[in-house]
Formats: sequence, C-alpha cells, structure tokens
Amino acid sequence: MQNGMDGSITTSKGISLPRPKLRALQKILRNRQGLVAVLILLPMIAFAFLAPVLPLQDPLKSNITASLQPPSTDNLFGTDKLGRDIFSRTVSGMQTSMMVGIIVATITLCGGLLIGSVSGFFGGRMDRFIMGIVDIFLSFPSLLLAIGMVAIFGAGMLPVIIAISIADLPRAIRLQRSLVLSVKSGAFIDAARMVSAPTHWLLFRHIIPNTLAPMLVAASITAANAILTEASLSFLGLGITPPEPSLGNIIREGQMYLQEAWWISTLPGLVIFAIAISLHLLSDGIREVLDPRSKR
Amino acid sequence: MADYLLKKAAQLIPTILGVVTLVFFAIRLIPGDSTSYMAGDNLSGEAVDALRERMGLDVPVWQQYLDYLLGILKFDFGTTMVSGLPIGQLIMEALPVTFMIAFLTVLIACLIAVTLGTIAAFSAHKGKKLIDQVLTWIAMLVDLMPSFWMALLMMLVFTLSLGWLPASGPIDFSDPVGLLQRIALPLIVLSLGQIATIARITRTSVLEVLNEDYIRTARAFGTPQLLVVFRHALKNAAMPIITVAGLGFGNLLNGTVITEFIFSIPGIGTLLIGGINSRDYSLVQSVILVYSFLFILVNMMTDLIYKYFDPRVKF
Amino acid sequence: MEKESLLIVDNLHTHFFTEQGTVRAVNGVSFELKKGERLAIVGESGSGKSAMAMSLLQLISYPGRIVSGSVKLGDKDLLQMSERQLNEVRGGEIGTVFQDPMTSLDPVMTIEEQLVHTIRRHTKLDRRGAVQRAIELLRQVGIPDPETRIRNYPFELSGGMRQRVLIAMALSCSPKLIIADEPTTALDVTIQAQIVELLKNLSADTGCAMLFITHDLGLVARFAQKVAVMYAGRIVEYGTVRELYANPQHPYTQSLLRTIPSMKGPRAKRLLQIDGFPPDMRQPVVGCSFAQRCPAAQPMCRTEIPSLTDRSPTHRAACWIEDGIFSGIAKETAPTAEELLHLPPKASFLRHQEPQDAAMPVLEIKSLAKHYKTRSSLFRKNGKVVRAVDGLDFSLQPGQTLGLVGESGCGKSTTARMLLRLDEPSDGSIIVEGVDIAHLKGEELKQFRRKVQMVFQDPYSSFNPKLTIEQIITEPLQVMKVGTGEERRKRARELILTVGLDVSYLDRYPNQLSGGQRQRIGIARALALNPSIIVADEPTSALDVSVRAQVINLLAELREKLGISVVFISHDLSIVKHISDTIAVMYLGKIVEFGPTQAIFGNPRHPYTKALLSAAPIPDPQLEAERNVELLSGDLPSPANPPKGCRFSTRCPAAEHRCKEERPELIEMEDARKVACFLVS
Repeated sequence: MQNGMDGSITTSKGISLPRPKLRALQKILRNRQGLVAVLILLPMIAFAFLAPVLPLQDPLKSNITASLQPPSTDNLFGTDKLGRDIFSRTVSGMQTSMMVGIIVATITLCGGLLIGSVSGFFGGRMDRFIMGIVDIFLSFPSLLLAIGMVAIFGAGMLPVIIAISIADLPRAIRLQRSLVLSVKSGAFIDAARMVSAPTHWLLFRHIIPNTLAPMLVAASITAANAILTEASLSFLGLGITPPEPSLGNIIREGQMYLQEAWWISTLPGLVIFAIAISLHLLSDGIREVLDPRSKR
Repeated sequence: MADYLLKKAAQLIPTILGVVTLVFFAIRLIPGDSTSYMAGDNLSGEAVDALRERMGLDVPVWQQYLDYLLGILKFDFGTTMVSGLPIGQLIMEALPVTFMIAFLTVLIACLIAVTLGTIAAFSAHKGKKLIDQVLTWIAMLVDLMPSFWMALLMMLVFTLSLGWLPASGPIDFSDPVGLLQRIALPLIVLSLGQIATIARITRTSVLEVLNEDYIRTARAFGTPQLLVVFRHALKNAAMPIITVAGLGFGNLLNGTVITEFIFSIPGIGTLLIGGINSRDYSLVQSVILVYSFLFILVNMMTDLIYKYFDPRVKF
Repeated sequence: MEKESLLIVDNLHTHFFTEQGTVRAVNGVSFELKKGERLAIVGESGSGKSAMAMSLLQLISYPGRIVSGSVKLGDKDLLQMSERQLNEVRGGEIGTVFQDPMTSLDPVMTIEEQLVHTIRRHTKLDRRGAVQRAIELLRQVGIPDPETRIRNYPFELSGGMRQRVLIAMALSCSPKLIIADEPTTALDVTIQAQIVELLKNLSADTGCAMLFITHDLGLVARFAQKVAVMYAGRIVEYGTVRELYANPQHPYTQSLLRTIPSMKGPRAKRLLQIDGFPPDMRQPVVGCSFAQRCPAAQPMCRTEIPSLTDRSPTHRAACWIEDGIFSGIAKETAPTAEELLHLPPKASFLRHQEPQDAAMPVLEIKSLAKHYKTRSSLFRKNGKVVRAVDGLDFSLQPGQTLGLVGESGCGKSTTARMLLRLDEPSDGSIIVEGVDIAHLKGEELKQFRRKVQMVFQDPYSSFNPKLTIEQIITEPLQVMKVGTGEERRKRARELILTVGLDVSYLDRYPNQLSGGQRQRIGIARALALNPSIIVADEPTSALDVSVRAQVINLLAELREKLGISVVFISHDLSIVKHISDTIAVMYLGKIVEFGPTQAIFGNPRHPYTKALLSAAPIPDPQLEAERNVELLSGDLPSPANPPKGCRFSTRCPAAEHRCKEERPELIEMEDARKVACFLVS
C-alpha cells in the first residue's frame, strides 16, 4: 500500500511506520497547493519584515521633482504625487498587512479554541450565555462591526487589530463549538468515557486534536479576510491613516490620480490579491494534509 | 405557519435587544461625549450645557437608554449633531438606493452563480475535470479580489479608458436607462463578489445531490440527465444555496459600503462614512443599527424560504 | 421445458479509473438469464456485484467505464444503444429496486409525483390515468390505503413502505426484468421477510424475471432458482440453487457456506473461517483471485486464470481442482484440540477468571428502564416520554454468553449503554458481582468500569483517528494509571498478539487497517483492563461474511480461555445462536422471551420469537422450500407511541381482546425459560 515516498519509513518487513511530527510539515510541502502558497508567502513575509535592513528607499521621504513617475528600474512601482517610492511604501504596507493577518488569526484561533471548546463541551447555561453573545455579534455584517469599532477606538494599528479580531472571533467560536459537538458525539469519546477518562483527557487528547485541522484551515482564511478588512478600512480612511503606509491607504491616495498614474492604486492591490490567494491555497493545503480520511 | 413566525420572532427578540444595547453602550465608551468634540475649544461652559440638553445627554444613562429604545420603536433616531437634520429621514432617503442595489445584486448573482455552479458540478460529475477546475479557479480568484481594488480597475477600464459607463453623477429614479448605466459598475463589482460564494456552494451541493441514491433511481427509470438535474438535483440543492446566499448578504452589505463610497452613491454606506468623518456618533450608531436590522431580517427570511422548500419541516 | 433466454451478458468488463489505479470491479462476467427466472448474484462487498448490475443499465458513474463485453436483452445489445434508446429500456423493460429505501426516493417530491413521472415516461397514459395506475400498483405491492399514502412524502413512510413504493415503481411499466440490488439489507428481519415474499410472488404472478443481488446466502436459498457466486469481479460458480448448495464446487463457495453458523442442530465449537482478505482489485489478475486464501491452492492456481467449466449440465465452476480435494476442508468445522492449541498466544496478565461463587450471576438486571423526554419547547410545555427500555429483568452466569436479539428500536443498544453506564438508567438496578452500579458516581464508578468493557459496532468510529493503535490500546491503562509506560507498551504487544495481529500494527493509524483488523483492535482494547464482562454491540454487522467468522471465533476463544462473560447484541439470529448460552428476545423495550439457546431455537414459544425465527432465512434451499414462513403484518410501532396492552398485540397473529388491554409479565415456564404472553402457559 505504502510506497515510502510520503515521509514514512519502510521497515525490512515492508511495513511503513509514519513519523507523526515530521509528516504534517513534509506533506504540506509535498502538496502542490501548499507548496505554491509557502513559496509565495515566505518571501513576502521575509521581505516585509526585513524591509528596514534592505536597500530600499525611505517610504516616507518625498521628492517633488519625481512626482507621479511611472514604474521604472529606479522606482519599481513608480512614485506618487509627493514623489515617494510606491514600491518601498508597498513593502512597508505589506508589513502592516502581515502583522494584522498573523495577529488576528492567532487571537481568533486561540480565543475560538478556548471559548468554543468551553461552550461546546460543557453546554448548559454557560453555552447559552456564550452563544447569546455570539449571536448578537453575528447580527452585524462583519465590516460594519469593524467600522463601528474603529469609530469608537479611533484609527491606527492597534484599534484596527482589536476591531477585526472582535468582528472575526464569534465566527471562530461558533465553528469550534460545532466541531466539538460533532466530535463529542463520536463513539471514541464513549470508549474513553468507558474507562472514566477525566475531562481534561477527553478535551486535550480526543476532542481538541480532532478540531484543530478545520480550525487551522479557518485561521488561514481568517488571516486573508483580516488583511482584506484592514485594507478596506484603510481605504475608507478609517484604518491606518497616512503618512504611515498601508496597502489600503496607498490605494486610497492613488484613487485621485487613477487617470494619470494608474500604478499607484493597481500595483499595491495586486499584492493584497496575491497574499489572499496564497493564504487560501495554504488553507486548501492544510485541509488536504490534515484530513484524517486522506491516505497517510 | 403563523405559529412558526411568532416563535421565530420570539427567538430573535433577545438578539435584537442585545444588538440595540451593545450599540448604545459601545457609543458611550468613547472618551468624553460628542459635545466635547463639536464644541471644540470655542464654546463656553453654558453653551456646552445647552448643547448637552438639546442632545438629551443631561439625564442619567438609564433614562437615555429608555428614550433611545422608545425612539427606535418609532424609527426616531434623533437629529444629526452637525446639521441638526432628523436622522430617520436621512436614512429613509438613503435606504432605497442601497436596497435597490443590494436586491439587484442578489438577483444577478444568484442567476449567474447557480448556472455556473450547476455547470461545474455536472462537469465534475461526468469527469470533465477541466471545465470544473477552470470554473472553480475563476470563482476563487474573483472571490479573493479586494472589492475596492476591483472597483478601481473597472473604473479605470470602463470609465476612464473606454468611457462606456459613468462612475459618478446623480441617482435619478425617473430615468431608468440612465440609472442602470449609473449603477452598472457598482452592480458588476458587487455581483462578482457574491457570485463566487454562491457558485461554490451550488457546485458542492449539486455535486453531492448528483451522487445521491434517488438520482440513481431517477436515472434507472429512464429520466434523461438534464431533466434529472432540473427536476431533482436543483430542487434538493436549493436549501444549502439559499442558506449560503442569506449568510452572504452580510458580505454584500459590507460591499455596498465600499462601492457606495467609491462610486459616490448616496446610500446608507455613504451616510455612515460621512458620519464617521464628521464624528457624528448618533448618526453612526443609527446607521449601523439599520444595517444590523437588515441583516437579521434577511436571515429570518432565508430561514422561512428554507422551511418552505423542505417538506420535512412542519410549521 | 427449456425457456427462452431474456438476458445474455457476455464477457463484461467494467473498470474504475481512479487516481490510485485502475479498479477492475467487473472483470469478465458472463451469464444468461431466462424469461421469468429468478437469478441471485451473491458476493461480498467489493466483489463487483453491484457494479455489474449497474453496468447492465449503464449507470456506472465517473470514474467508472464499461470497457468491453456485451449485454443482450432479447435481440438488442444494450451497450450499443444511444442514451435516448437506453432511457426507454430503463424503467420500461428493466425495473430496478435499490438497497436503501431511505435514500432511494427523492425527499422533496411526493410518492405520486415520482410514480407518475415514471409511468408517463414509459406509457401513453394521461395524468389522471397515471395516478390511477399508481394507486393500483401501490395496492398491488401491499400498501394499505394507497389513495392517501400516495400524497405522502417519502419521509412520512417507514423503510418497508418505501421499499414497497420502489417495487411499485419498478413494476409500473410491466418490465421483463427487475434488478433488485440488496433490496432488504437496510431492513429489519421481519420486514425483510415481507419484501422477499412480495418479490417472489410478483415474479410468479407477472412472469417477470428477477436479478437479485445480495450478500446473504440464506436469502438466496429462500428466493432464487439459480445462483451465481462472484468473487473479485468474476463469477466463480454458477448453477441451480439446490445443486450449488448441496454440492458446492469452488473452494470459495465451499468455505463461504460453512462460515455461516447453522440455525438447526447443535452448536458447533468453532466456525470455519476464511483467512486473509479479498485481493486488491487494482492489481492485474494473475491466476485465480482466490488462490491466496485457498487452502488447496496448487502452483497452477497462481499463474493461470481458471474459466467456468461444466460440472453438471446445470452447474459450472471456475476452479482448476476437481472436487474431492475439498472433502478435507469440509470436516474442519469442528477443530481438534491441537488446532485450538495453535491459537494465538495469550497475554500473561489475562488470567482465566474463576468465579468466586458459581451460583452467583456475574450480572443481574432488575426492572431496568430508560425513559427519554423529547425536548419541550416554548410552545409545547411538556415533551413526550419515549420508553426506550421499559423494565428488563435478566441475569448472566459467569463465563456464559447472553444473546440480546431484536429488531431496530427494540432498545437493545440503549440497554448496552446502560450496562456500561454511558447512560444512567431511569429506573431499576444493574448488579455486577453483587454491587448495584445503576447510580454509582466518582471513584466507585471508576472501579466498576474496569469490570465491564465494550466492543463497538463500527470499530472505525470508536477510534480517535489521530492516535496510533498502540495509543488506542493503552488508553484504558493510561487513564486508569495501570503500570509504567514500559509496562503498558509490553501489554499492548501482548494484547495485539492475543487478538491475532502482529506487533507491527501498533504503530499504524486506524485508517490503515481493514474492517476485520479494526474489530480485532477493538477487542484488544476491551481486554486491556482484564474485564469480567464484555458487551459487544453488533460487533460483526459492519463486516463481510468471511471476515465475520474470524471475529466471532476470536470472541468465542477468548471467552473460553479467559472465562469472560459476554453480552452479545445482534439482529443476526444465526450468529446469536452460535455464540450464546442464553437468549433474551426484545420487542419495543421489553423482553418477550428469555431462556437457554437450545430451548428457544428448538421450540420458540412467544409469537414474536416464532415469527422472528421463521423470518430469518436459512442457507439451505431444501429446508427453505419445506418451511412455511410466518409473515408478520405491518410495521414496528414507534417506541414513542407503543400499543396499550401487549406491545406485540398490533402485529400478533394470535392476539385476543385481552392482549390489547393488559400487559403480560414474564412468567417462568417448566423448562427454565420465561415468556411474556397470555397465550402461552
């Protein structure tokens, strides 16, 4: 059955023994979509966070003589009205996007796992209370919830992250809760209860490991959505405000010069698009690799 | 049926009350109250007090809360802080525009998405993987395009380069052709955002239904394939499609804010952004409430349609 | 009198081109079906029998394709027809009845719509005529009050009723042939008997030929005139039912017929088991597919494919070896002492449990009950009470096996959950080794759990897919804090040898195992704590016949060697008879008859037990022909709304007025059995 090519060791008897820890990572890289995603994402993340030490132009330095220059070897993405280099502004904005994506995904993943597990596993009054709150938050379209939140907390990186996290958390809680409920009804939970397995054993050995895969898939999509939401907020002028660059506000600034300088808006948009696509491919990769039904 | 409606409405009351309360208290979280911003440094202490009184901020919080609840029941949201116009009236003027755009989007998106999704599912079922994969990929790409970016690209191509469609100008209901041209670009952008999600769920559920035993039964009794798709597959796949389309309405509302802003359409989204920029918190609070009510209403309607389609559910 | 042939299938090949390789599901099948004849195709799952049936209608879906062959219906070759012509044949000349009546009808269309569509497709009737015809058909297949029923949606009908609707649909255009693909597998025994009888009568009345696809050799004996045995995509034996059962020629058929426990006569010590598993259908065929599992295989069997050869004018088999060689296996049903000694080694910590007091039952149940309340809602204050189990009394002696039989909804699984304290009983007591465990809590409950363990129906879902087999087997030890990590690993190794697998399986994951292997692991886990009682809830119903015998033998051996008491829950009467010492027959939450196996099978007293035994098919055409099957009318009532008096009174052929008013108690008879019936004394 096994050909030994998927990270398993083949013993002399021809029986393959999988090594659990390495397997997941290796399989992501062997998965075509996962590989493409990692190949796009990793350089982007590295580039974004290494920007300060890279030989790039200062994203905030204006140069009126080079106003609205089209893309060239000097300015890969051209310049804006103030003559600032769009490429280095985009890289800087990418850093913001990545931060928002990673932090929001982490918060919603952890919060979702914690609150959703409590709600789904223990049920009862606690569950009704939590789900009541979740329902209230889910009654707002997510971007509008974030807009409202930003209106309260003000503009800037931290408020944006808080706003998007609050808007996305209810969905994660609801997902985790439904996953817990479905795993909880499985016969292997009965098997564990039959030997009086304590609550922490049921939760950490049986339930959460089996909800982790879909939650990770959801988290990578949440990261993509968070990046899009941040960009939307900044585009509307409510998120990260100039002069600090963000992909959304660069596009906003470019909107005024759409006719004479198409590059200001279009090229940073392409970057958001690429990030979103690779995060979705990553989620597909995770889904396929962690699916217990897939052949190991 | 009426019994069910009543039950459903009863279930919604706590949620709606929660939404209303959340919005009320969230706004009070803002440091200082609105008057301190409006007043700036120019007004004397008495003038600020007068303003506070006019805005009903001089009474205890619980009384403000009750007034606010009563106001909502009467669709009276007070007046804007800046211009002093009644908010209810502003919303009533803007709502039809947003509503029209949202409604047309749902209509266009469902028609196109269900067709494409069914074609993809049918191709996948028959093993014609290429058609399915191409459609699936296009759906994913369209779905992930940031809507404001797509809007700008459209504007660049259709307005600035080709000059086919306007991207600004008045909204005039008495001139249908002009109106359609005016809202064509926003409709395209919004529909593209919806098509992907609905097409994907259509593909999944039609494909799932095509593998069901009763489809095999129908085929075994000589029903031609196309008739099987229309008579059995779509009817059974309708329920998840309706649900997802209903949930997608939230995203659609998100999208209307952005497209209204870009194409300067005087809907409630534009009203909202204006409110935030002028820090008119009672306006912001009211508009967000209206959005939420719309969303709750649509979800309830999809639930009803769902129940209507499924004979297994008794009212 | 030689009849005209209706269907001639010649060298049919249907392959599935999957990403993992080409599955040769149907690999050269040829047979002939005469007009009005009833032919059964019998085989295990994966033998290609369903793929073959669907190939006849050309309903093979992607990635499958009919590669070659011909299917002649009369003088037309179905494989050469256009889609339009085929649609005339489907439902017009060939009717089909599928396996699962629950999913084979469109849930959002009424019965009327579905029947009328089919009728109008193949006849010239107008709508009113079609409705008229539909009602007639429903009456013909025994649906009471068809004028009302026709307006129902499928979910409003029971499984048996839906299967009747499908049969009506198959009959609707007076076909020449009906293909019935496992038509009764999803149904209860008494309902199965009704449906089989209906099909048989219809075939006789209308002269319509039937192709009956099944895995159940008993049903074949009851229903068919001819039988074809399929193995790994080919027909290995073909003949009249009597001849084939009396004198099987192919080693596969020979062993298959002996893996089934006999319903008559004394109980055999051990079932004959076919070792190993069916071949991987993705591999190209070299030699006889059964050679690997065949105890008499010759070198030639592994290199050359045998073809069907005549053994008599009406009997053909595909085997290189002439009969006689297999007289050796035939005797093996009762293994000798030496054979038993060759059984897998026993784990050191598993000791034979000597009962402290032989007279004291290891398990005693007194008026055990479980009542569920359906959820009350805002508008309906009080939910209904479902009496899933309503007062059970029975006891189990040490080292004995109690068989719990009954149809779906009788409460046997709920009983199992209470015995294991997965659910708390609403009433009554469960006394295990002298302690009432019905309402234990905390540490005491934990101590009880060491004594009673369970083997699940579906082993796969009872394993956490993220854990290795070793982690699964040692979980009970780990949770109960038994031994050190090293000791637990040692135990896992011993346990896996005990259940007849080798140590290498410990590092695998559940999805890398076959069904039979998984069930062995399930048994190993149940043994880990060295329990005194094992509750096995339908442990073999998810397994194929040939693998089933392996698991049953293993359970029987362990019971023998370890002195474990077993509660064996099953709907399969032949297996229950084989493994149990005592039997409790349940009907709608009540025990209707309880007593020694021999007594109950030899002379059933309760009308329900009688009907159940009579409904269960016996894999012996001779006996089946002589038998007079007692059919029960109607469906099982819902446990939410049971009949007022005796629960069986609505279906009992002998029910009197008193039965409908009063509820009979279990009364002890002279031969150590108890019966709950007014009419027995």
